[in-house]
Amino acid sequence: MSETKFEPKIIAFLCNWCTYAGADLAGTGRKQYQANVRIIKLPCTGGIDPLFLIKAFERGADGILVSGCHPGDCHYNSGNYHARRRWNVFRPLLEFCGINPDRIQFSWISAAEGGKWVETINSIVDTVRALGPFEGYHKLNTIGPEISGEAAAPSETG
Amino acid sequence: MSKKIGVFVCHCGTNISATVDVEKVAEEAKKNNPGVSYTTTYKYMCSDPGQKLLRDKIKEEGLDGVVVAACSPKMHEHTFRNASKKAGMNPYHVEISNLREQCSWVHPDKPTGTEKSIDLVRMMTEKTRKDKSLNPIKVPVTKRALVIGGGIAGIQAALDIADAGHEVVMVEREASIGGHMAQLSETFPTLDCSQCIMTPKMVELAQNENIKLYTWSEIEAVDGYLGNFDVKIRKKARSVDLDLCTGCSSCWQVCPSKKIKSEFDMKLGNRTAIYIPFPQAIPSKPVIDREHCLLFKDARKKNIPPNDSKVCRKCLDVCPIAPVKAIDYSQEDEIITEKIGAIVVATGYKELDDTSMYGEYGGGKYQDVITGLQFERLASASGPTEGEIQRPSDGKVPEIIVFIQCVGSRDPAKGCSYCSKTCCMYTAKHTMLYKHKVHDGHAYVFYIDIRCAGKDYEEFWLRAVEEEGATYLRGRVSRIYKKGDKLVVLGADTLTGSVVEIEADMVVLASAMKAQDDAEKFAQKLSIQYNKDKFFSEIHPKLKPVESSSAGIFLAGTCQGPKDIPETVAQAGAAASKVLALLSADELEREPVVAKVDRLPAPIFSTCIGCFYCKRVCPYGAIAEEDIKARDGSVIKTVARVNEGLCQGCGLCAATCRSKSVELAGFNDEQVYAEINSVEFS
Amino acid sequence: MIEELRKKAEELLKNGTVKVVFGYGEGSTPERTRPVFITKPEDVNKLTWNKYCVYNLTTYLKRQETRKLGKPALILKGCDARTIIVLLKECQIKREDVYIIGVTCDGVGDPLATKCEACDVHTPLIYDDLVGEKRENKEVPFEERYAELDEYEKLGEKEKWEFWQKQFEKCIKCYACSNICPLCFCDRCIVEKNQPQWIDPSAHPRGNLSWNVTRAYHLAGRCINCEECQRVCPVDIPLNLLNKKLAKEAEKSFNYRPGYNIDDELAMSTYKEDDDQDFFK
Repeated sequence: MSETKFEPKIIAFLCNWCTYAGADLAGTGRKQYQANVRIIKLPCTGGIDPLFLIKAFERGADGILVSGCHPGDCHYNSGNYHARRRWNVFRPLLEFCGINPDRIQFSWISAAEGGKWVETINSIVDTVRALGPFEGYHKLNTIGPEISGEAAAPSETG
Repeated sequence: MSKKIGVFVCHCGTNISATVDVEKVAEEAKKNNPGVSYTTTYKYMCSDPGQKLLRDKIKEEGLDGVVVAACSPKMHEHTFRNASKKAGMNPYHVEISNLREQCSWVHPDKPTGTEKSIDLVRMMTEKTRKDKSLNPIKVPVTKRALVIGGGIAGIQAALDIADAGHEVVMVEREASIGGHMAQLSETFPTLDCSQCIMTPKMVELAQNENIKLYTWSEIEAVDGYLGNFDVKIRKKARSVDLDLCTGCSSCWQVCPSKKIKSEFDMKLGNRTAIYIPFPQAIPSKPVIDREHCLLFKDARKKNIPPNDSKVCRKCLDVCPIAPVKAIDYSQEDEIITEKIGAIVVATGYKELDDTSMYGEYGGGKYQDVITGLQFERLASASGPTEGEIQRPSDGKVPEIIVFIQCVGSRDPAKGCSYCSKTCCMYTAKHTMLYKHKVHDGHAYVFYIDIRCAGKDYEEFWLRAVEEEGATYLRGRVSRIYKKGDKLVVLGADTLTGSVVEIEADMVVLASAMKAQDDAEKFAQKLSIQYNKDKFFSEIHPKLKPVESSSAGIFLAGTCQGPKDIPETVAQAGAAASKVLALLSADELEREPVVAKVDRLPAPIFSTCIGCFYCKRVCPYGAIAEEDIKARDGSVIKTVARVNEGLCQGCGLCAATCRSKSVELAGFNDEQVYAEINSVEFS
Repeated sequence: MIEELRKKAEELLKNGTVKVVFGYGEGSTPERTRPVFITKPEDVNKLTWNKYCVYNLTTYLKRQETRKLGKPALILKGCDARTIIVLLKECQIKREDVYIIGVTCDGVGDPLATKCEACDVHTPLIYDDLVGEKRENKEVPFEERYAELDEYEKLGEKEKWEFWQKQFEKCIKCYACSNICPLCFCDRCIVEKNQPQWIDPSAHPRGNLSWNVTRAYHLAGRCINCEECQRVCPVDIPLNLLNKKLAKEAEKSFNYRPGYNIDDELAMSTYKEDDDQDFFK
């Protein structure tokens, strides 16, 4: 892992109406950006349970992006407002537990902001690349507490 | 039993295959995923043969899940789901990997693009594995339309829908329909009289038996969903009984409050407190302006019911209707609910009238610096000067008149970056109207660009310049100041590079079209989106220009963005045709992407514990409390239930539920989990 | 005060207002008390009251065994009574189905429990009867209430991580924390959902982090800081630090404190258009 150049893996949770469409627009405009992001599309940022983020880290993500419609523009009126409230408490909680808040980024990107999508991705990839792999999390054991084993492979429960 | 999944990788000509090794993607899809039993690549999956391939393979290979790795799901998800349905597979077992917009077009390096594509296909394969069969939700359709706004857009849409045989409810917040078009003098590029072409339409609407008209009324609330809206309309107290009143005009003739600024005349003329906005108003029945009426003022001051005030009852006294008078001071607002199937929003625009931000133009303080719509009223035969161009301050006919374009438009410094689209043309028209009325007068126009993109528009503008002698100066006006009874206009002519100073008698600002003041609040009432300038947003700028972001709600006219009359009428017709298509069906099919609260066998019944966070966060009021009862009727527990007719599928409830007792179909827990879990990390 | 409590309990049981009284009884040693459930008027002498009455008896409102006993009267301190307000808001109880014997309190535990250090509910905010002399509920400044967090918030990222990993490593996933919590009332906890299994139920560091973070997050804007989770944790994880951190954030961001005002919207089921979003890009 340490030999090759570190390429961070970012999981992005996007709302269908704004940011996913914004990412599409970046494509239509042939705007290039780094290929480190895997997108999970949901109807609305309001539908993103913090468990999804925990799972993404567990799975091995080095960084997470949550992005949706600008305030006031939610396709479902208030989904992004509720989401924002959630992140307002969840983010400090993770920070309190020692997770660098730069590993979880939040943004508003509209369907018209292909450019902003590109900037956002490049920025989070660069930031997380500088932070390095999220080894703390990845190395957490998946075996019992009394055995201090090697970093276990990602659990695959299917 | 594990699914048999087929993966179809599209070349998209070379759009994908140029930067993604599609063969390798297909190969890897099979290699790494035990459930994948068939893979192929194809030049154009969306083509007829491509779809046939999909259909054939579903049947031949017995597939019960399909991943199409192609362009964005926003493009062809529908195509492939329909094709699968034709092959007998439930369409919700189809998922799209976005290899084009989100991969091949943005990552020019082939190995990188290929590697990412393999990941994207795996993610969707895993999601597909967890896809469940879903069936479209059928909802009945109320075959009535609501048109909000009675300007030319609303009138056109209402007439088109009504003429096709459907009932239309029109709600107009002013006392008369007609909107801005009724205020205009002549219209470009033909110079036909606006009222002469508008009023026949207004009459047609009033006479149409399929149209129910609510004027002096506003939308209070819109509940429900596509095909089944419940619309609450606030009928504001008019103080006049529309059924009894004959519009005889006696009342407004005796009203002593004669100096109220007329909104219709853009405050250049006066009206009474009981009034009709303009002579051709529909309905041609008055309303009492309670703010200015002496009786209501008195009642407010003394804090007594209006009926008890004795200050002035002239209108009531003179009303010839018997035995019950048509005037009723005690009338109150009334809330009416109408059942509606589809809605056309045609709420129009507001002219930028607050020019206080333009300090350099006098900041709204100079009486003879007027707006475009004010000029329309001056030029109109029904206007305060009966069509004579007189300046507001002293009634003098201006000999030199200056028009300034782009006031409040194309001016990011003032917070309005967009082009109002109509001002170039109406200013050209204004110079002509002026010239036709004041033969010796001279018109100057300051402009940034001239935008005459419309049929016969360029020719019209040329006529203003070449035949009617308007002087066009390319440049901004830096300042206007008063000198005696003149207005000195200081500007630049950037074409000659000189400073221009004009002593004008009157200045007309080509003021921008702005969204209505309450556009934002209104949009929230209807759950439709709007842009930064508060104009309502169409769902696709090219391919869905009249559809709002809420199903069953369509947009017409300037509420969606600045446009001229022909464009407005065309868009209104388009919105009407969308409404008609909707109302032509007895039942509608809705995407089954809705939430569901789990139900389990006794004694658990549901893992829902009834904390109702879901109900609180639901933007649609789609979650209700349901009592689970024992045989004897006693309540065992109270849990949440989703009304799938109301649910719009945002998933807010699912993310809020701590015990994960609510799931969103199409994005259920297992699907999301599978997606996250399938991302390959090295 | 004890006599007064007993008299009150006797009266309520006798006149049929309630079927059971949840209270504190003497424990095996003088420094202990234990919950008692009095169903007969003649048993009221089992009730006691002293500084060792640390438990939050509202947790028994969620248990089938104690629910079966019929309408309860609960002896509640000011902090415990805040739970009632949350439970009412979250539709878990109806006001008429519980009788609250509020007790004024100057703090419990020996040494004084952390939760009592910045107490501003010496007199309960909700009750049917109040026993003990009414105290003034003085507001304690924000910083003071969350002072316990300071030393942890000051730690660097790595130190925080190591501190919590050391704590979570100990977790044996016994779920005592959620069992005792009066607000962890789900019939099926998220860890019990296995399709999919979001949180690995076995006790290993990775799953322990997920569990402990999720447990705390699920109490965001709800926890009333009774510290019961921390008290019962057999491996001494300072769970309440997490709860307190969330309470602090909820108060800072939403100006909301659970269990103080029945009319307040629940923090996590509402929003304000001007909620903080400085961290959004």
